[in-house]
Amino acid sequence: MLIRLKGGRVVDPLNDRDAIGDVFIENGRIVEGASHGRKPDETYDLTGKVVMAGGVDIHSHIAGSNVTLGRALMPELPVLAAQGGASIAPSPDAWGAYATGIRYAEMGYTTVIEPALIPTHAIEAQIELASIPIIDIGALVILGNDDFSLGLLRDGGREAELQDYVGWTLGHAKALGLKVINAGGSEAFKFNARTFGLDDVVPDYGVTSRTVLKVLQRAVTELGVPHPVHVHCNNLGIAGNVETAVATMEATEGLPIHLAHIQFYGYGAEGEEGLSSGAPRLAEAINAHRNVSVDIGQVMFGQTITISGDILRQFDGRRGAHPKKWAIDQGDGNGTGIVPYQYRAGNFANAVQWSVGLEIVLLAEDLWRVLFSTDHPNGALFVRYPEIVHLLMDRDERARMLERLPESARQVSNLASIGRELTLSEIAIITRGAPARLLGLTDRGHLGPGAVADVAVYTEQKNKTAMFASAHLLFKDGALVVRDGEVVNVTWGKAYHVAPGVDAHIERRLAAFYDRYYGVDPSIFGVPAQIAGRPDRFATVPCLN
Amino acid sequence: MAPKQKGGGVEAASALLRAAQLLGRTRFPVIGGLLTDIDGAVAALALAKKLRGVIDHAAGEELARGSQIMRERGASPASFGETRNRADVIVMVGSGPLKRDPGLFQDLFPEEKGLPRPGDQARRLILLGDDLVNAPTHVKLTQVGQGGSDLPTLIARLGAAVAERPVGDEGQGDPLAQVAESLRTAAFAVIVYSVADLDEPALFTILDMVRHLSVATRAATLALAAPGNGDGVNLCSTWTCGLPVRTSFAGSVPEHDARRFAASRLIESGEADALVWIDALAEQGVRRPKGVPTIVLSSSDDAGEGEADILIEVACAGRDHDAALYLPAISGIGLVKAAHPNQDKPTVAAVLNNISGLIDKREAA
Repeated sequence: MLIRLKGGRVVDPLNDRDAIGDVFIENGRIVEGASHGRKPDETYDLTGKVVMAGGVDIHSHIAGSNVTLGRALMPELPVLAAQGGASIAPSPDAWGAYATGIRYAEMGYTTVIEPALIPTHAIEAQIELASIPIIDIGALVILGNDDFSLGLLRDGGREAELQDYVGWTLGHAKALGLKVINAGGSEAFKFNARTFGLDDVVPDYGVTSRTVLKVLQRAVTELGVPHPVHVHCNNLGIAGNVETAVATMEATEGLPIHLAHIQFYGYGAEGEEGLSSGAPRLAEAINAHRNVSVDIGQVMFGQTITISGDILRQFDGRRGAHPKKWAIDQGDGNGTGIVPYQYRAGNFANAVQWSVGLEIVLLAEDLWRVLFSTDHPNGALFVRYPEIVHLLMDRDERARMLERLPESARQVSNLASIGRELTLSEIAIITRGAPARLLGLTDRGHLGPGAVADVAVYTEQKNKTAMFASAHLLFKDGALVVRDGEVVNVTWGKAYHVAPGVDAHIERRLAAFYDRYYGVDPSIFGVPAQIAGRPDRFATVPCLN
Repeated sequence: MAPKQKGGGVEAASALLRAAQLLGRTRFPVIGGLLTDIDGAVAALALAKKLRGVIDHAAGEELARGSQIMRERGASPASFGETRNRADVIVMVGSGPLKRDPGLFQDLFPEEKGLPRPGDQARRLILLGDDLVNAPTHVKLTQVGQGGSDLPTLIARLGAAVAERPVGDEGQGDPLAQVAESLRTAAFAVIVYSVADLDEPALFTILDMVRHLSVATRAATLALAAPGNGDGVNLCSTWTCGLPVRTSFAGSVPEHDARRFAASRLIESGEADALVWIDALAEQGVRRPKGVPTIVLSSSDDAGEGEADILIEVACAGRDHDAALYLPAISGIGLVKAAHPNQDKPTVAAVLNNISGLIDKREAA
C-alpha cells in the first residue's frame, strides 16, 4: 500500500531537506515519490504540519534490573512527578514497561537505547525491553569494572583476548554497543575507595582507569562495532570535573568515543560557592575533538530518581536523597546505586546544572556530535523532552526560566548571553539524525528512500512544548500508531544488536572463570535467539569490518 | 494426563473454554500461586489486568514484606557473587537460610581462593541463633546466641552493639559486642538472612546496621531468594505495573496492599469470587487456598483430580521447557534449559494467553 504524506514541512537534515513537500511510504519503508507515478492508496493532508523521522533516543534508562530496582524503591515516582507538573499519568504503572513505549510513541519517538545492560542480567533486561510496545530498542552492555577484564589487563599483553571478551559479551547479551561506567571506579569501591579519578589505580589489579578505558575503546574500534565506546566518565557531579571530561577526550588519541550525559561533567569550581558553569570550556573541547560525541543529560526541575552503575558516586549521593531512601546494590561488575532526587529551581547547584546543559548545546559548533538526552530518569524523566526542546528553540522561554533561578546561579551562568535559538532542522539533528548515525542505525533518523518508515508528524506552533508533547501522527514501520497524540495501534518493535566474530577459545576461558568464581555456567545469562515468544525480536546490525 | 475439569477428563479445548467461561463471569478473581517462569508471570499479569483481578504469589507474604522495606527505606544488598568472593565476615541470621538452601555454606565458602578482595583477614562465618549447624571444615565458624534469646532480640541487641549503644549488662564480654566489633573491623561484612524468618522491625534493624557500618567500611545484606521463582515473579510484576505482587487491578490504577490483597485472605473472606492457581515448578508443600471456583494449572502428576473445578495440566518450567527464572547464583533472572524437553504439554503462558483470547472472543460475541 502506497501512503502519501502530503504538503507538510519536511524537516530531514540528513538529506538536507527543510521544505514543504511530500513523503511516500510503502511496505514499511520510505520510497521515492516521483518515480512511482501511481495514485497513492492513502493520502494524509499535512498542511501546517511538520514531518520528521521518528525520534531516536541514544541514552535512556528504560529497562533492566537496575531500573526495576528503582521502580521497587519508588513506585510513587509518577505521582510525585505529575504533582510537580510533569506530563505523566499519576500511577505506578506509568513508568512500567508498557507505558514507556506508549508515552515515547505519543511524543513521536520510535527508537530508544537502554544504556546500561548488566551482563549477568541481560536476560531480564531483554525480556523487559520486549515488553515495551511500539519502539525499537538497542542496549549497551557494561564492562570495565568486571574482574575478567581487569584480570586480563593486570596480566598485561592480553589485549587480543580482551577484544574477544568484549565481542563475546556484546553477542552474549545481544547488545548494540559497549558502555563503560567510571572505569575501575566500582571495583575500587569494593576496596572501600570513595573517590576515583582517571589516573587512579584499581586496587589489586594495578591498572588505571585511563588504561581500562583506552583498551576497551580500542577493542570496540577493532571489532568494528558501529557505535563508539559509550562512556560515563570519572568524577560525575563534582565541582571542577570539567577537567576530567577534557582529560578523557584528550586520552582518546583520536579514536571515536561517546561521552554520555556530559552536563554532569560541565562544572567549574569558580565563584563564591565553588561551583560554576564549565560549559564554555567543555564546549570548546567538544568542538576541538572531532572524534568525540556527547549527549547532554539535561536537568529539569522536579522530582525524579537517579539510577546509575557508578555506585561509588551514588553512594556519596545518597545523602542528597529526596525522599530519604536509597538502594546501593553491590552487584557483580559495576553494581547499581538508586537515589531519588528532586531538582529545585531555587537550589544554586541545581540551577547551575540546568544552565550548563543548555549552554553546552547552544555553544556547540557541530550538533551532529552533541545529542539530546536527559539521561532519563537521572536528569529528568523523558516525558520532559518537549519542554527542553522549547528551551533550546526559544530564548524568551529561557529568560523566563532564568528569572526563577537564584541570583548567585545567574551570576555563574552564561545562558543569558547566548541568543542562539535552535531551528527545527537542528532539533531533528540532535533528536533523530545524529543519534541514528552514531549508533550505526543507518536506516533511520532520516526520511530518504529506503529508510524505515518511522515518521513523526507534529502540528507546527509557537509553543514548542505543546508541539512536541504529542505527535499529530506517528508511523512505525509504515503503520499508523499514533493519531492526535494518542496510540491507536499497538505494535511491537525489534531489538538491534551486533554480533562480532570472536575466537572460540574465549568461551572456554569464561566457562572456567564463571565456574570457579560464581559456580555457574555463563550460558545461564546468555540471551537466547528467541525471547518473550517472539521469534523475530532480534535484528543484527553488521560490524564495520 | 489430559486436561480435566470437575467430574472427569475432557478435551483440552473444552477445559480452556470452560475456564474462559468461568473467568468471564467473575467479578474479582485472584491469580495466585504463580509458581511459574517469567513468561508465565507476564501472561498472568496480563490476565489479571484484563479481569480486573489480583495477583499474588505463594511466597507473597515474604515478598510483600521485603518490598515494603524497600519502598520505605531502600536496600543495601550485595549479590551472591560478591558475597561469595569478597565478604570476609558473613553473619547468618538463624538457620533459616541453610534450611532454604542446604548448599549455602559450600557456595558461600568455596575452598578455592576467590576474586581479589579487600582486607587480609581470613574469611569467617558467624551464626546468630541457637540452632546447631555443621559448617564445612575449612570454614571458621563462630556461633552466638545460644541460650534462649529469640532472633528478633538478638538482632536488636546486635544492632545496638554495632552502633556502640549499651546492649545489656554483659559489657565487653558480651559475645554480641564481639560480633559487633568483628563487623566494624571487617573489610566487607555481609548479613545473610531469609525474609520469611524475620518481621519488619528486625529487617529494618539489619538494614540500619549495614548502613551504619557502610559509613566507614563496606557492608551489605544478602536475603535468600523466595521459593517458587518468587523473586522473578515479583520483579516481573514491578516492571509491568510498577508494584510487587499482592496488587489489584480492580481500580483505574493498580493498587498494592500486602494484607488486603493476600490471596488466602481474599478467598477466606469471600471478597474474591474465583481463583486461578498456577503450580508449574514442581515445588513441594505449597498450600492452595480453597473456597471459591478454581482453575488449577499444574505440572504435577498428582495434582489431584476432583479438587479443582477445572484442572489443566501444563509443562513444568525448567524441566519440560527452557525457562527464565530467578537464579540466586547471579542474583537475577537467568535461563534454565529444559532438563527433559517435552512439548506434549502447553506452557503456563500458552494456556493463560489462550484463555485470555477466548475471553476476548466471548466478549466480542
